[in-house]
Amino acid sequence: MPSACRVVANPSTVFREELDDWALLFNPDTGAVYGLNPVGAFIRKRMDGSRSVRDFADLVAEHFEDVPDEVELEVSAFVEELVGMGFAEYLES
Amino acid sequence: MPRVMRTPRAIEIDITNRCNLRCEYCYHFSSEGDVAADLPTDEWLAFFDELGRSSVMEVTLGGGEPFVRADLPELIEGIVRNRMRYSVLSNGTLITEDMAAFLAGTRRCNHVQVSIDGATPDVHESCRGAGTFRKAVHAIEVLQAHGVPVAVRVTVHHRNVRDLPNIARFLLDGLGLPSFSTNAASYLGLCRDHADGVALTVEDRVLAMTTLESLNERYGGRIQAAAGPLAEARMWREMVRKTAEGGAAGDCPGGCLSSCGGVFSKLAVRADGVYVPCTLLPGIALGRITVDGLEDVWNNHPELERLRTRQTLPLAGFDECGGCDYIPHCRGGCPGLSYTLTGSPYRPSPDACLRRFLAESGLGADTFLPGNGVTP
Repeated sequence: MPSACRVVANPSTVFREELDDWALLFNPDTGAVYGLNPVGAFIRKRMDGSRSVRDFADLVAEHFEDVPDEVELEVSAFVEELVGMGFAEYLES
Repeated sequence: MPRVMRTPRAIEIDITNRCNLRCEYCYHFSSEGDVAADLPTDEWLAFFDELGRSSVMEVTLGGGEPFVRADLPELIEGIVRNRMRYSVLSNGTLITEDMAAFLAGTRRCNHVQVSIDGATPDVHESCRGAGTFRKAVHAIEVLQAHGVPVAVRVTVHHRNVRDLPNIARFLLDGLGLPSFSTNAASYLGLCRDHADGVALTVEDRVLAMTTLESLNERYGGRIQAAAGPLAEARMWREMVRKTAEGGAAGDCPGGCLSSCGGVFSKLAVRADGVYVPCTLLPGIALGRITVDGLEDVWNNHPELERLRTRQTLPLAGFDECGGCDYIPHCRGGCPGLSYTLTGSPYRPSPDACLRRFLAESGLGADTFLPGNGVTP
């Protein structure tokens, strides 16, 4: 998917914030559980349909230290994985 | 010590105190979880809404027999509506074709656990009552036909311990189940009144370990156990091996009362709506649903906090553990069993004591070394 494509979380899945900014995603339809580190949880919390992969990469660069140059590629791979597991979906531009 | 989850991941609920059977070893009846009345539908539904808001992921419905509740479909719909999955623990005798279809249709059922204690009516019904075998088997078949995952639990007791090979053949070959799990009739609930004729003797435990380990090898690991003879055999093998290898004392989490981590991720509720740490600790009341908030109880109740520190209590501090070579690798057993056997969940369970088992059975510790079978 192009980096400009907006992303929205699947509202039928569960986002559990845990300690130290970690989180769990749970898909009750499949039983799948997916662990999120603080960066992943930060992105997932902002998947309200208004932001794209590029927006997430910019936000991560603003909020975290030592962000690698290839952050957009990493965020893109992360989002792709969530979409593949039914935790999020791309919105048509 | 494990970290406490922000809210419970899973809740075990006695959705009813009623049951159409009175199995002689039932852990529920005559325990402190055997309460006077069930809660009405709307209270459970309000609680399920709260579980949804707290991002609880799984609910296990037990009792009593959940299928005696005519409103069970409505309750399950409340669970599904709140983005949770569920399991049901059942004796199987009340599961109809329509109910199996309903469960399948929810697409959120982790499994229905059906109790099967024998390969024939006489063995199965020896503790569970006449007419129960055919109905339970029928339940498994209709659940399978509708694609609902079935988990069969075999409770090993004095009257079926010699039938285990037939039971394994019946369940795995006959019914084609992928696996089944085992535990044992333990000194809980009604079993306390019938212990002489139902609970496993030391000789029975040895036979059960031998048989289940052998069957599990023959069936490629398709027999599971979190408690009971098969689990004990595995745990004690590990303890004897590590002790023989000279494992250092304080090999965490061994050496402390660390056997149960349930209070870090799970909570339970009695049929009267009272929060308890576990269905096997029904006497430790922590508050009441819809009155006391789930997250407040989970994060602030002092007894729950105390139970979590149980993991730090060293076995070396208990008189009964004095001089035991296995302390560094022992975890003290189930707190629920410890509670009924000793009066406190903060002591090791005598039932889980390897040293005591070896003394009572006359077995040598090398019985549990790799390659050796548990033989009398």
